[in-house]
Amino acid sequence: MPRDLITQTVIQAGFSAAADEMFSMLRKTAMSPIIHEVLDVGTGITNAEGQLLGSGAGIPTFVGVLDKAVKRILELHGPDSIADGDVFITNDPNYGGVTHLSDIVIALPVFSEGKRIAWTASIAHWSDVGGMTPGSMSTRAVEIFQEGLRIPAVRLFAEDRPVESVMDIIAANSRLPEFTVGDLWAQVAASRRAARRIRSLAETYGLAAFDSAVERLLKEGRRRALAGLKRLPNGRYEIELEQDDGDVWRAQIDVSDSRFLVDLRGNPVQKRSPYNTSRDGAVISAQMMFKAVTDPELYANEGSFAPLEVLTEPGTIFHALGNAPHGYYFETRIRLVDMLWKCLAEIIPERLPAGHFASICGTVIAGRHPDTERNFTMVEPQMGGWGATSARNGLDCMFSSSHGDTYNCPAEICEARYGIEVGWKRLNLADKGQGRHSGGAGLSTCYRPRSRVVVAAGYSHSRKRVWGSNGGGPGGTNSLSVKRRNGHLERHAFVSDLEVDLGDEIIIETATGGGWGQKASGTAEMGDLGE
Amino acid sequence: MNETITRVATDIGGTFTDLVSFEFDPNTGRSRVRTAKVETTPPDYEIGMIDVIRKAGVDLAQIDFLAHGTTVVINVLTERKGVKVGLITTEGFRDTLEIARGNRPDFFNLHYRKPPPFVPRYLRRELPGRMDYHGREMRPLDISPLKRILEEFVDDGVEAVAVCFLHSYANPAHEVAAEAEIRRLCPDLPVVSSHSIVREWREYERSNTTVLSAYVQPVAENYLQRLNDKLTASGFRGSPYVMQSNCGVDSLSATARTPITMVESGPASGIWGAAELGGLIEEPNIIALDIGGTTAKCSLIENGDVRITTDYWIERDRKSAGYPVMVPVVDLVEIGNGGGSIAWVDDYGKLHVGPQSAGALPGPAAYGRGGTDATTTDANLLLGRINSEYFFGGEMEADMEAVNRAVEAVGRKLDLAPMEAARGIVRIANNNMVNALKLVSLNRGFDPRDFTLVAFGGGGGMHAVELAQELGVTKVVVPADAAVFSAWGMTMSDFRRDYIVTHLTDFEPHTADSIEAGFRELEEAAREQFASEGVPRSNLAFKRFGKFRYQNQEHTTEIELGDQRITASRVPAVREGFESAYEREYTYRLDAPVELVGLHLTATAQVGKLSIERRPPSGRDASAAMQATRSVDFATDGIHDTAIYRGSLLEVGMQIGGPAIIEESGSTTVVNPNCSAEVDGFGNIVMSIGI
Repeated sequence: MPRDLITQTVIQAGFSAAADEMFSMLRKTAMSPIIHEVLDVGTGITNAEGQLLGSGAGIPTFVGVLDKAVKRILELHGPDSIADGDVFITNDPNYGGVTHLSDIVIALPVFSEGKRIAWTASIAHWSDVGGMTPGSMSTRAVEIFQEGLRIPAVRLFAEDRPVESVMDIIAANSRLPEFTVGDLWAQVAASRRAARRIRSLAETYGLAAFDSAVERLLKEGRRRALAGLKRLPNGRYEIELEQDDGDVWRAQIDVSDSRFLVDLRGNPVQKRSPYNTSRDGAVISAQMMFKAVTDPELYANEGSFAPLEVLTEPGTIFHALGNAPHGYYFETRIRLVDMLWKCLAEIIPERLPAGHFASICGTVIAGRHPDTERNFTMVEPQMGGWGATSARNGLDCMFSSSHGDTYNCPAEICEARYGIEVGWKRLNLADKGQGRHSGGAGLSTCYRPRSRVVVAAGYSHSRKRVWGSNGGGPGGTNSLSVKRRNGHLERHAFVSDLEVDLGDEIIIETATGGGWGQKASGTAEMGDLGE
Repeated sequence: MNETITRVATDIGGTFTDLVSFEFDPNTGRSRVRTAKVETTPPDYEIGMIDVIRKAGVDLAQIDFLAHGTTVVINVLTERKGVKVGLITTEGFRDTLEIARGNRPDFFNLHYRKPPPFVPRYLRRELPGRMDYHGREMRPLDISPLKRILEEFVDDGVEAVAVCFLHSYANPAHEVAAEAEIRRLCPDLPVVSSHSIVREWREYERSNTTVLSAYVQPVAENYLQRLNDKLTASGFRGSPYVMQSNCGVDSLSATARTPITMVESGPASGIWGAAELGGLIEEPNIIALDIGGTTAKCSLIENGDVRITTDYWIERDRKSAGYPVMVPVVDLVEIGNGGGSIAWVDDYGKLHVGPQSAGALPGPAAYGRGGTDATTTDANLLLGRINSEYFFGGEMEADMEAVNRAVEAVGRKLDLAPMEAARGIVRIANNNMVNALKLVSLNRGFDPRDFTLVAFGGGGGMHAVELAQELGVTKVVVPADAAVFSAWGMTMSDFRRDYIVTHLTDFEPHTADSIEAGFRELEEAAREQFASEGVPRSNLAFKRFGKFRYQNQEHTTEIELGDQRITASRVPAVREGFESAYEREYTYRLDAPVELVGLHLTATAQVGKLSIERRPPSGRDASAAMQATRSVDFATDGIHDTAIYRGSLLEVGMQIGGPAIIEESGSTTVVNPNCSAEVDGFGNIVMSIGI
């Protein structure tokens, strides 16, 4: 009875276990802190055609990336040329990379009985892939070429052996080659480990049982999504939202019992600045919100997103083409999530929190360690305030909705690893969204470099305040400031190549969350415990 | 004069208090083991302890070594029954405890709840003063605000104070000074400093550990005091040792100061038992599996060594970030999968087992206490693996009607007959456990075929063979008295402390001397501490471990360094040891410099010696222990007429061919058709699995 229900369940559990195993291995072996602490990494198992079967813990924005990457690899190379022992690598959104050049996808086809049965793939943010600025994310980039090495979905291994020339090109194009080599091997080893597990599932239970487990899994994902969709009110909902730069973005969401259509046409044309995303990236934003309102469990496969359709217009910021730069695609993507979230919160305010600080607040500090004299690049997102809900106050100091099992860097490790003193790290209570329930606290951090460093940063919601919901008040704004030795204070939102000297302070303040509901007159606000 | 050495362990669990007593006469070489079990007696746990000692007929005055294990610390934590704590920390960092790590493991869920801190903001206070990561003072400590802070703490009803400053792992001077001042100002207020528990970096983990230690300290100290008083009053002439999470015991007085180290002592004693058993039967490589009522725990023992980690969290799962407790804890994987785990079918027709458990009340449907959910135990009853006529050794009647109803209900949702559903439940439960077992073995690059599976707890013997088959393990041992095996492990444990400190340095010949100095410092500290407990310096045994990584990595691999000096000439061999362990676990090596990140020293002192004798075969045939035959469903191994043996009648050397079932009062061992069992010289059931 190889096709029985129980066997299928056992095989399906094997897919998740394999993706988890990859994840935990990557975390333990990676070199770049943004991989092992921030967990800016995703792992996934797809079927032979690149349909997502399971993904490792990490961050939601990387669920649904790897399937797109594998499909593109299949398209570019043709299924027949792909052999056992191959490993592919890509980072370019035009070649299945989905995000930006800093994120490296490594994908390994799994064979059993001479047949391709699955892929094990991972995506991870490397600390430096070259380009015009340390950390590879310049706000001044006008073309993708300035953002680092483009790897157009090429073979990294053939017959289980590295293609040395490709390895050499990759190492030569990084300011931190020992990191790229370490991260590359970590990803390859993780793929191999998971492949062994997938292969053993097929060998133990046979290919027929394997295939029927896959088929049933995808069906289940679809059923779960449709069941969640039925709990949303049908209708057509529209939103327009002004951004910090004065642009107005718009979206229309059509909800029916069988379809969730997100229309993103009519948005600003793509820019000669790094705030564009590929169409795949925009789809992932829509997937995240769709998942959050239909089936917020960790469970996700290709079927989970089946009822979702996304319309984009080529040549716009949500569907960038050609040589457009993508370095800060993640700000565009989280702002898109924020807009779709607000659109839905207006329809179902009880089911969604008010707005959160809605920015990665990506912060890159590069320099030379004053004690070890080794080069370092610190690449970190920031925590911020989350919005209140119908039931409670917002959460204090959490990473953004684009993140997940992401860990901040302890001050003690920061001081040792980068030689940067952390002056303070505390809750930022400024401009908390008021209401029946109030928004959560943001973060206030002070870094004091002990030698000259170069800073790059991207903070959205630096001008427009975080939105409140159902009558709740707005939250705060995000900012990165530099307090110079002479006392002069500079406030920044998007900046690159910012020089900070010994004696200067970098001060990060992230937004408090939005409030929920109107404060009943005459009653005191329900404050946070113990404040 | 009576020269018999008597070692006793009492293990207080949620439902039962267990005892194992081990008497050994060095003149005759004879030994005797007694076990007993009574119901736990909350809140006066010490009564149950005296009860169980009396029930076993052990003379308190004759006990040479008494080990005690308790769940008091984990209970206080999970039930939030600790005291009100105030935290003193470094200026600028009072919110560290609340900011935590900012992670949201349940990442599609926008309604995630962040675990609230154990100390609210108004009780988290700061003092000026800073150390750097080398332990050098950047700014002096100012203790002058303490007087006012403590006055406010007392006014607010604070019952214990935790002190944690940045980089105190590298230099505890500021904590030492603050703690002394607090004791001077408030002599009656319990105070705990982070450096006395943890000497590793990561300020959130260290702060939380210190806070939780303060939170449980007064409660645990009171418990230990009452226990000691009661023992003394009842005629015990020594001082009891307390089981710790690192598989060793520690003195009562040391435990009362930082009781948080007991947090995982229950599982640790079982895993230590497996390691000791491995030594006894000459199997140094063990996979230990403890299947209880609500969870299954597993751990890998390589070359006789248990792995110790400080990366331990409570209440952490896929839905919650949990709370870190950075103390030496045996490295284990725990899953919500035990005998009482509930089988359920989700809205999409998929069968799951656990992590919800029917607990003791209502318990499995078979208990007949109103439980309507089918559990793993119910499925095992229906399949005939557990004898419905001899449930709990005949002490309880299995409500088979309730079992049928519960399993049928699961089957209906799956469109399966009840027997099919029962098989499905057992297969899913087994698969959950296999995945956990792979986490500790295969996923770390170990081949399970090189290991012996030691299975204990109420459900260990029930599932062991099938799990071994999945993993390719060919030898399974179900220890004698598997149901009180944790207490047995405690009787075998040594006085042990683990010293783990952050010590970041390049690993090169020229750094060997500073590393050696680091270990010596730890050894000297250990000697002093043990001496103050009356342990002579010569009785201490040390083992050194280093935590290594390639430069720029974060996570480390721990390598045993033996007890020899670290010299420049040893560096290449140690490096090779790291690289081969790294390659085994992660499949590749790098051409990169290696760093040492931490030192780990274990100091052990044996308290009382005993040796267990192997008994000769009785020469009798196993048929003497055979009770009956019945039809048993072995799931994927088919349905067979099966011989049933009574465990208490088995004798050394008896051999049993599968299929067979061995029934004891607290556990059942399933011998599948293609395997055979033999009772070894220590009374363990040793099974060989055919390939």
